[in-house]
Amino acid sequence: MNALIRWIDDRTGLVSGIAACREAPVVGGAGWMKVWPCTIMFSFVVQAISGFFLWMLYSPGAQTAWESVYYLQYEIQGGWFLRAVHHYSAQVLLVLVAIYLIQMIVTGAYRAPREFKFWVMVFVGLVVLGLMLTGDLLAWDQNSFWATQVRTKFLALLPAVGGDLYKLAIGGPAFGHLTLTRFVALHVGLFTASLGGLLVFYVWAARKATASELNKDRDTAASVESTYWPNQALRSGVACLIVMGVVVYFALSHGTSGGAAGVELGAPADPADAYAAARPEWAFLGLYEFSNKFPGELKLLPIFVFPTILLAVVLLMPIVGRFLIGHVFNILFTVVILGALAVLSFQALEHDRLSENHQQALADGQQQAERVKLLAQSPQGIPVGGALTLLRNDAKTQGPKLFEQHCASCHGHFSVDKDGEKQGIVPEKVSAPNLAEFATRGWLLGMLDPKKIVGPDYFGETKFKRGDMAGFVKETFEDLEDGDIEDRETLLMALSAEAALRSQKAIDARDKERIAEGKDLIADDFGCTDCHKFHDEGQLGDGPELTGYGSRQWILGIIANPAHKRFYGDGNDRMPAYAETPQEPAKNILTDTQIGMLADWLRGEWYEPPQELAK
Amino acid sequence: MTQSTSLSKTPAGKARRGFLGNTIALLLGIVGYSVPVITGIVTFLNPLRQKVQAGQFMRLAALDVLPDDGTPRKFPVIADRTDAWNRFPNEPVGAVFLRRTGKQQVEALQVVCPHAGCFVGYDAKEDEFLCPCHNAHFDLSGKRKDEKSPSPRDLDTLEVEIRNDSEVWVKFENFQTGTPNKIVEA
Repeated sequence: MNALIRWIDDRTGLVSGIAACREAPVVGGAGWMKVWPCTIMFSFVVQAISGFFLWMLYSPGAQTAWESVYYLQYEIQGGWFLRAVHHYSAQVLLVLVAIYLIQMIVTGAYRAPREFKFWVMVFVGLVVLGLMLTGDLLAWDQNSFWATQVRTKFLALLPAVGGDLYKLAIGGPAFGHLTLTRFVALHVGLFTASLGGLLVFYVWAARKATASELNKDRDTAASVESTYWPNQALRSGVACLIVMGVVVYFALSHGTSGGAAGVELGAPADPADAYAAARPEWAFLGLYEFSNKFPGELKLLPIFVFPTILLAVVLLMPIVGRFLIGHVFNILFTVVILGALAVLSFQALEHDRLSENHQQALADGQQQAERVKLLAQSPQGIPVGGALTLLRNDAKTQGPKLFEQHCASCHGHFSVDKDGEKQGIVPEKVSAPNLAEFATRGWLLGMLDPKKIVGPDYFGETKFKRGDMAGFVKETFEDLEDGDIEDRETLLMALSAEAALRSQKAIDARDKERIAEGKDLIADDFGCTDCHKFHDEGQLGDGPELTGYGSRQWILGIIANPAHKRFYGDGNDRMPAYAETPQEPAKNILTDTQIGMLADWLRGEWYEPPQELAK
Repeated sequence: MTQSTSLSKTPAGKARRGFLGNTIALLLGIVGYSVPVITGIVTFLNPLRQKVQAGQFMRLAALDVLPDDGTPRKFPVIADRTDAWNRFPNEPVGAVFLRRTGKQQVEALQVVCPHAGCFVGYDAKEDEFLCPCHNAHFDLSGKRKDEKSPSPRDLDTLEVEIRNDSEVWVKFENFQTGTPNKIVEA
């Protein structure tokens, strides 16, 4: 056995190398304040291990990055925890580097012959920041996308080369596949390798520094009371375990199951819809707030000039610190910078906390993230085009946006709550019917109410206020007796059943007989078919067709072209045709998909998970 | 580096040969590694050769849908988009605020904040545009409202044409951020 060990050691020096590490002298004896380098290395290895497993699950690509992280987070057992460990140990690593640097400054440990230990640690800190900035984007959710967008756009501030640097950083004129391939190569390749290399160099420099101290000074040599093993090694081991404990605590702090567990994953990045609550990570909040204090023309100062000066001062510290006054300056400088960063970070957080707009944007973002998760978990799953297409084709989220953009200058879509406040989309100036609950029994009841039909929620602000329909309703439904009220109700049931709304499925089935009766009322007793076509009765041309009134097909038709003879024909009042030429889609205001989403939203029909629908 | 030093007799010759040897070794190294390094850098610089598509007029909305009172309304810009090896037909690529300034007059503003590229939003309460990232305020015509605005210039206006008396066409372009002058992205 010994022969084998000697044989290996002879050729590699491994065994004696390890022994030398164990026997390495610890100047000033073992202590708890000497655990930092070891915890930093431990955090790095934790990062490397967790990062490696994340890497095996990650797919860089604009339509696959978020999707693969989603899969990791919600589908792979323990995936959320792996991601959380990687995320939080990165934050812890940065904090540990900062603590160690501050300790070196305050205790003067950066002075000769330990300058290189300090300098290497400064670069370790910089590479860790680089890892955070590149790693942040990889999730490709709204916050990471837009925060990175802002950061990289700052490159454009640099004179002459700015625009080109921006393109180089993101791999093209705009964010996309190549941004991710670049960032992933920087993150898992260049920066990780650099960090590993720097830490190895740190150990080398540290041992050289110790040797040089011992050589120079016999007193120091005498003060060596301990070797690395076991006193210091065991202390460091305990410290590493505490570090892991902190990481696990944070990883579990949002629960162990459900959507919030681990690290938040926002809605997938949408290059065409900026995230209004995008903010940098905590480590950059101070700089963010600081740069906000400068007007646009001077942005170069806080973003590039001051940080460079700061770095230069820090790098010069071991030299300046040779003199007592220099050492005092270094300490004061450190205290001032840290204090300023703390105050600025607090200001940034406080400002956002008090900003209604910011809170609203956060809430919207959260809602989107939850919605897309729900859609991704639907039987449809995530299509090849990426999860963003789920949101873009989702009637629940897109419907109101489309309505606001294209319909809400005339139509409202609101209800009135018990305090008399209008809830929903309220136009500045109503000039067309309120379409909330359109084609439901309740909505149609208003249409057949002599007062309401000429009110603002129906025809009040249109030319139909004085039209035949309003006249018919006044004539027919004023001063109703009990029997007439029941007849009108039967009529409403039949007409509303034409829409086949999901929300009325149960009552439509219950009232099957009255609906059949009502169909006859429409055709015969009330004479609706004098003006409207209804199934086999009546003709097109005078008023909108009642066959399938409020159905998806019917709504698609009227949005596409209200002046079609199936709807208002020549009598159409101001409503534009949104898709007049099906044969030439490019000429239409809205695409078929958009109109489809509007129709589904108006009908209240969008994907909900089965248990929600059952309620 | 090289074994030749052991052959030298005099210290001066040793130094000379050592220098020669070092230089040759360095050159060999540079030439050898230059192949992967240079080819790598050439591909790395490829983004510099990529150009942004020139702006073109697009129909964004019907004139009718713009409120008479001049309230701005945001419209997505739908166009074909290329991302490296993928082409996405008819995708939203940005957005524009349209605002009616007269019966047949419309003003168009890029939603992209000239400061750092976030999208400004319309704040109905204050009747202004607000960029949520660094809190730049702009009035409805896009002028900066803050005394010390984070934005180096006013919001970017876009060319508008009203066609057939009813359609709003806008020349959609993106501009460089962070510059005091409006420079079209190229």
